[in-house]
Amino acid sequence: MRSRHDSLWYMIFAPGIWALHFVAVYGWAATICAKGAPYGLARIGIAAVTVIALVLILWHGVLAWRQWDLLDDGDHVHARPTAGDRREFLGHAGLLLAIVALVGVVFVSLPAIFIGDCR
Amino acid sequence: MSATDLPQGAASSDILDSPMQGVWPPTPAMLAEPVDPDLSRAQAGNLRKAWETPRGWRRITAVNNSHVGKWYAMTALAFMLGAGVLALLMRVQLAVPENGFLDSDRFNQFFTMHGSAMMFLFAVPMFEAISILLLPAMLGTRDMPFPRLSAYGYWCFLIGGVFVLGSVLFDAAPSSGWFMYPPLATESEGIGADIWLLGLSFIEVASIAAAVELIVGVIKCRPPGMRINLMPLYAWYVLVVGGMILFAFPPLIAGDFLFELQRSLDWPFFDPERGGDPLLWQHLFWIFGHPEVYIIFLPSIAIAAMVVPTAARIPITGYSWIVLSAVGTGFLSFGLWVHHMFATGLPALSLGFFSAASEAVVIPTGVQIFAFIATMMVGRVRMILPMLWIAGAVAIFTAGGLTGVMVALAPFDWQVHDTYFIVAHLHYTLFGGMVFPVIGGVYYFFPVIMKKNLSERLGRWSFWLCFTGFNICFLPMHLTGLLGMPRRVYTYSGDLGWNMLNLISTLGAFVLAAGILVFVWDLIRPKGRAPHSARNPWDAGTLEWTHDVPDEPWGVRSVPYVTSRYPLWDQPEMLARMDAGRFYLPDAPEGERETLITSAVDAVPQHVARLTGPAWCTLVAAAFTGGAFILPTFKMYLPAVLCGIVAIGAIIWWLWTATARIPEARFKDAGLGLRLPLYVSGPKAPGWWAVFITMLGDATGFASLVFGVFFYWTARPDFPPPDAPHAALLPSLAAACLFLASWGATRIARGVNAAGSIVPARGLLLAAPILALAGAGALFAAVWLPGLAPTSHAYPAMMWALVVWTVAHVLCGAIMQAYCLARSLAGRMTARHDADLWNTALFWHFLIVTCLVTTAMIALVPRML
Ligand code: HEM
Ligand SMILES: [Cu+2]
Repeated sequence: MRSRHDSLWYMIFAPGIWALHFVAVYGWAATICAKGAPYGLARIGIAAVTVIALVLILWHGVLAWRQWDLLDDGDHVHARPTAGDRREFLGHAGLLLAIVALVGVVFVSLPAIFIGDCR
Repeated sequence: MSATDLPQGAASSDILDSPMQGVWPPTPAMLAEPVDPDLSRAQAGNLRKAWETPRGWRRITAVNNSHVGKWYAMTALAFMLGAGVLALLMRVQLAVPENGFLDSDRFNQFFTMHGSAMMFLFAVPMFEAISILLLPAMLGTRDMPFPRLSAYGYWCFLIGGVFVLGSVLFDAAPSSGWFMYPPLATESEGIGADIWLLGLSFIEVASIAAAVELIVGVIKCRPPGMRINLMPLYAWYVLVVGGMILFAFPPLIAGDFLFELQRSLDWPFFDPERGGDPLLWQHLFWIFGHPEVYIIFLPSIAIAAMVVPTAARIPITGYSWIVLSAVGTGFLSFGLWVHHMFATGLPALSLGFFSAASEAVVIPTGVQIFAFIATMMVGRVRMILPMLWIAGAVAIFTAGGLTGVMVALAPFDWQVHDTYFIVAHLHYTLFGGMVFPVIGGVYYFFPVIMKKNLSERLGRWSFWLCFTGFNICFLPMHLTGLLGMPRRVYTYSGDLGWNMLNLISTLGAFVLAAGILVFVWDLIRPKGRAPHSARNPWDAGTLEWTHDVPDEPWGVRSVPYVTSRYPLWDQPEMLARMDAGRFYLPDAPEGERETLITSAVDAVPQHVARLTGPAWCTLVAAAFTGGAFILPTFKMYLPAVLCGIVAIGAIIWWLWTATARIPEARFKDAGLGLRLPLYVSGPKAPGWWAVFITMLGDATGFASLVFGVFFYWTARPDFPPPDAPHAALLPSLAAACLFLASWGATRIARGVNAAGSIVPARGLLLAAPILALAGAGALFAAVWLPGLAPTSHAYPAMMWALVVWTVAHVLCGAIMQAYCLARSLAGRMTARHDADLWNTALFWHFLIVTCLVTTAMIALVPRML
């Protein structure tokens, strides 16, 4: 197995979670509403998936932040041809993606708070 | 330093199991050592010979990226002009009220063809064309990894495009709008809808092929040393957009598949009378359609990301941020599809998710624009001509983005839905996000492509004509829309207050067209006697500007060792060394076309790949693939099947003769004291990656069908109908077991073969396709025996669709297994030379998932629902 420092897959971990979250939330709400189950069930399910997604993304974001290692050397350009710069670059991009994914997950779950029924 | 003591931190599997021999990375002293000029000249001669383009009419067999890319781009441009002519004719019709220039049916055909051609025959192919043309140059590699595949894709595109666009001349074109909503389109008379479905599916397949090739190019063909953090931004965008094509097009193809089944066999997927639902098409279409907008728009950002640093003469600001925004947009854009369906009565909650995601995508999009502005502010921008086009694009696109945010708000959308407001918004995003930046890019890259300059004067004329014409044409349409003029009407009455606005729009359209024509003239006017352009006229920093002037066929004279994002700025000696042949693969003593394959993340050299050269089999394959797709529109099913068989034959011939050839030696001297293997299999081989990536797309298509089943289940109370027969359990179970056995046999054959037990491996490879075919038969029986009648209801139809899809794939898998067996018997596959078997096993890993899901979906899930 590759280490997380040199894998592109880890970089897209957070947006991947966003995508799964999106599918889960959308599918769950559609099922509940279509089958006439109580609306509270939709909200509980969405809340649960959202918490899981947020935890995973946060966890990943912290790892990416460590990998970026900004405070250690202040490098945010990563333009040198070294393994170190490559590692920090993947961490940096991974962190930024985690932030976007986090915002995305929050945004997508907000309607469940504001909208009170299936109509 | 030898290959065993590696740079700190670089110890990944990439390097450790790479049997490279000799020196890596090269030392400064080695790089500084001059090359004997006589030797260099002799090497150049060898290379020129190996890469020679066929002359005369044999030129059409060329597969070189610089040829195929040019053809591709010019063809896409021609289709764009055709679609543009249709637009002008529509504008003429709409210039005055109650006009009789076009009748309603013609008008419908025209807007459908205009929209479809612009989206499928121009916007996406143009990105692929430009990328095929330029990506190898940007990566300092010789060619795309699969030159024949690019050629095949191009010829498919040409045939399909001519067929689809040509239908307009015979009054036979589709007329239900570019998104073909049923029931309008399912019931429309004539062959228009079939032309759309089959012709465009054909082109989509070609688009996916090109996307696969581009992705593999970025991952495996970077020059040695170009780690992922040094890659040009354009390559990042290619990766993202290629990935998006891979996940966006298959749902549409799955939709086309269902749609065509309904039209030709009357399987009622979208017919509410018989348990179908037209909304399924809308979902599948827009799962594709919204990302499509970003697929069109991101490549333009990629062009800007190359032009802006050059114009500002400094490296791009915020490289990581731009990568983030590209990847982020790529993902988020998939969460938006339903915003095109606000007016369809979906639950408010579902709409809410999509409204939210639509707003979220603004973040990464904004980040990219800010990074450009920051770069321009830090550097001193020269307003070179390409920059002018980019600036115009940003202005137009921003306006389109603002109206887009308005449209994304669900309440506002109900207001302007299907009015000219949408037409205006759409064209603002498409012109700002695609047409203007691409023209800017052509002005920028033209010296690399043609070794000549375009005219500065004509370019400025063209820009101002286009810019003013565009705004005169489309700005008033916002108002026309707010005044209530619906889109897609062929005429209107004179007392609604729309007359003046429409006339202005038409005038603007002609000014715009004049601007485009000036550009096209500049592009195609004979430049034979004009002097060659300078080698690096804009003083840019990236590798494509190391191109040879005058032209040479080899891509790069030698594959450079790269240590910077802007090598031409930071590695001043590099150009001379490349030209002298100081770097890798400076020679072609065997007369083979070769390029360097490097590892995915750190670009450590892994392999010298032999590329395929000019060939007829790709042309034959494309022509007959065309037949297989096109003939069914005329209900000529038997000839279509025959064409399909010939096409498969041609493809097998092509693979058999030209891929995974066993080289004359195990290692080859790649230059700079490095010896690399000539044959690799598994994850180190580009072919394995191509299969992997293709299968991701394929899995997406299958997932779309599965989504269809669940969609019906949530949307329809009678899915499955209470008394409907279900697929038979026993045959389903048998099918699953047979498929598992076939998959297992393939996987074990790979291990056994690699261990040197050739005969058992052959035995397994003989059994595997037999098991697979038996499984296909059992699966077929599972839906046949209980009498599931696909025309009666959407439920049996959907079960049949799953079976048809799976059986088709199993046939493919069986052919691949038999192919491996044949290769082994012919001595073209041995214990160590087993790339074919690796690829087949990989295909089967995906296939077995498809098979098991299908058996579960037909036999288990409906019984539980
Ligand atoms: C010469 C410049 C152009 C003009 C004058 C023009 C004009 C038009 C007109 C009049 C319509 C039909 C509106 C209606 O009746 O509903 C239309 C639709 C459309 N246009 Fe354009 N257009 C131009 C360029 C483009 C470009 C470059 C693209 C895409 C890259 C594009 C994509 C579309 C699409 C997708 C539709 C919707 C078709 C449908 O409703 O099915 N257009 N355009
Ligand atoms: Cu959209």
